[in-house]
Amino acid sequence: MKKILTKITILLPLWGLAGLLLLSCDKTIVEPTLEAYIPAKLDEKAGTWKPYVLTSANQVMVAEPKAANSAEYAAELATLKTAVSVITPENKKAVEYWGAGAAYRWNEIARELAARYNLAPAFNTTTGTYPIPDATNPLGEPKFPFANPPYTARALAYLSVAQYDALVSAWNYKYKYNRKAPSKTDATIGTLLPVSDLPSYPSEDAVVAAASYTILVAMFPGEVPFLDTKLAECKNVRTWAGMNVASDLTAGDALGKAVGALVMAKARTDGMGAANNQTLVAGFKEAAAAKGIKELWVSQETPARPPMLPNYGAVATWNFDKATIAKIRPVMPYVSGSAEFNKDMVELETINKSQTREQARIANYWSDGAGSYTPPGHWHREAAKLCRQYKMSEVCTARTLALVGTTVMDAGIACWETKYFYMTSRPQQFGLKTSIGLPNFPSYTSGHSTFSAAAATVLSNIFPNETTRLEANAKEASESRVYGLIHFRVDCEMGLTHGRKIGEYAVTRGKADGSGY
Amino acid sequence: MIQSLYKQRWLMVLLLLPFLSQAQMPHDHIYMNKKQLCIAAVFGQSTWNEYWENTLKRENLNMGTHTTQSAMLMAAYGVTDKLTVTVGLPYITTKTSAGNLMGQKGIQDLSFWAKYKLVKTGGLSLHGVVGVSVPVGNYVPDFLPMSIGLQCKTLTGRVILNYTHSSGMYLGGHGSYAYRSNINVDRDAYQADGKVFNTNEVRVPNATDLGLRLGYLKKGRQLEVFTEQFACVGGDNIRRNDMPFPTNNMQMTAIGVYGKYEPKQYGVNFRVSKVMSGLNVGQTMSYSVGLLWNMTFKSEK
Repeated sequence: MKKILTKITILLPLWGLAGLLLLSCDKTIVEPTLEAYIPAKLDEKAGTWKPYVLTSANQVMVAEPKAANSAEYAAELATLKTAVSVITPENKKAVEYWGAGAAYRWNEIARELAARYNLAPAFNTTTGTYPIPDATNPLGEPKFPFANPPYTARALAYLSVAQYDALVSAWNYKYKYNRKAPSKTDATIGTLLPVSDLPSYPSEDAVVAAASYTILVAMFPGEVPFLDTKLAECKNVRTWAGMNVASDLTAGDALGKAVGALVMAKARTDGMGAANNQTLVAGFKEAAAAKGIKELWVSQETPARPPMLPNYGAVATWNFDKATIAKIRPVMPYVSGSAEFNKDMVELETINKSQTREQARIANYWSDGAGSYTPPGHWHREAAKLCRQYKMSEVCTARTLALVGTTVMDAGIACWETKYFYMTSRPQQFGLKTSIGLPNFPSYTSGHSTFSAAAATVLSNIFPNETTRLEANAKEASESRVYGLIHFRVDCEMGLTHGRKIGEYAVTRGKADGSGY
Repeated sequence: MIQSLYKQRWLMVLLLLPFLSQAQMPHDHIYMNKKQLCIAAVFGQSTWNEYWENTLKRENLNMGTHTTQSAMLMAAYGVTDKLTVTVGLPYITTKTSAGNLMGQKGIQDLSFWAKYKLVKTGGLSLHGVVGVSVPVGNYVPDFLPMSIGLQCKTLTGRVILNYTHSSGMYLGGHGSYAYRSNINVDRDAYQADGKVFNTNEVRVPNATDLGLRLGYLKKGRQLEVFTEQFACVGGDNIRRNDMPFPTNNMQMTAIGVYGKYEPKQYGVNFRVSKVMSGLNVGQTMSYSVGLLWNMTFKSEK
């Protein structure tokens, strides 16, 4: 008896622990549902806001819809009513998903694609080279694109601009034709999403879906089947939820596709095609040496990998011109061996020896390296979240994402131009390790710092209540690169200053776009 | 007198800690005698210079040879002749011979095992084992392959079947299922299974392991050969040229030799194993040596 008691006593803590573990046995990762909302403002005048690529909100024509009292419209309403009454639980789940907002979800989809394609090509031992991703064979090895930070910044910028321009145009026609939401014409139509007073023709969701689709199939050509599914679902949800009749969706789809095509036409001539011009690198190095840079950048990979997109600095910017790039370029960094350089080096050597867990945490949190949606994606996520938090309308959300998207791409371009202007070495050329992985391009200035400061500057202007947090985040993102040991402090500090200047150009643009925000 | 002797011995144990080593592997059929305590210190080193990236076996010149070194303190105690409990706590370091990934080091997970002899008829015996492990160190779990562990809490159930011949030869096998908890990572978005998760919670697949061993044990001398297979239940694969991640479906089959020499109070053991095939893991060659120290608490009667 005593024996059994001893046994039980000893095993008790074990069974207790076992029980605790079993209680939490369901390991499914659940992400919170994002509730649909009535926007704080309808932004009735958004049809007059200044687009980026369209010459005007009328550039793409949208025909007048059939009148509310027409037989055709009555038939459409009847069809919609039937469609709503036969939806399945899966349809409802889709409605719930897209209820978060079309611009929000398409931004999220783009970030997921960026993460999936953000892997550097593997060395090909047969050819003895790092193969270059081929847009005509996107699913081959290596996959196209390599969605690195500059690529992702650009893809998200064009996506957001296409959404914004298409919605400005949509708002123009919505208030020109003033077709009420179906459920406001026929109250017997059940709806699954909140209905505002926004006119329903053309459907803003169809506009966003078609514009986004057009950009993303060009940016991620291997994902056409996946994007087809998303496009169809985004539009179908509007029927299942009783929100739009077929003609709302057809008109929206055509408008979105037309605007998307115009925006992609601009993308095709922005210089990205020449961004990976490796023949320029030798000249960049010579020029940097002539400026007095002592320890020039050398790839730390084995075998040496050509640096990432050396001519990305020549890609067309959104919010300022080429001359401005040179004007706002950060001054020359500390030269290796100087007292200031040595000070930065001592800081890194200390972290290399005894990185604290908190430093590691910060470095990891902001790392956004291979396989992630990159720092541009991180800041788009922040922007999209804030738009929902402040219950922005679809067009205002797109405006915010376009301002952030364009400034983040501008930041990438100006930062890359700086990187190859000075061609400075990473701390690893001086024997330091890294706890997050080393990017394969020159050090000065830090891309994270530039992207983050530009995005935080724009977002602080749009969401002034968030300024303190946003600026602290930008600073932490910047310092994370010191803690992760892949940047000198000067790279980060100068990157932050540069990024803020870049952000200001987008702020100026935003103030003058007629939105009144 | 006995008490003071024990005190001295405890002191000795403390001084010898760095040089001591292991005794009771929780997948064998061997038990401590009642009130017998074995303190062990096991020192291990495992290395690989090739790994399976999904099914592709490759080298990585940016890592060279990956080395993990560990020092594990263990204690096994015979609660009764049929019940042995074991605790262990390892300190682990990692490094690579090439590239610039920072080595990691720290105390890993505290494990607790209870092994109970369920049935014994003649030479045949059946044993049940329950194991729990809990992370102790606040190490980074997703800086693979440099991380020293995955930060999951585990609960393992294991069954061991063994046949021992009167000559000392034995043939045994075991099967286990380990429930592994989800973990939290420093970032709040990551990709797994082709999808981005916007959370810091990461799902770690559960795991099974199987083993088969043939050996000889008599009078404190033991020698065995074994094969073991570890496999996650589900999980995704490392993508082309990507780093591993805790969600990966890691699998490996290893073969090895284990030996122990424990004439009286002190003993040594060794273990050598090599991974022969795998998925999303390194082709590891492992060595360990353990120093053992036994003592028996006399009953007061």
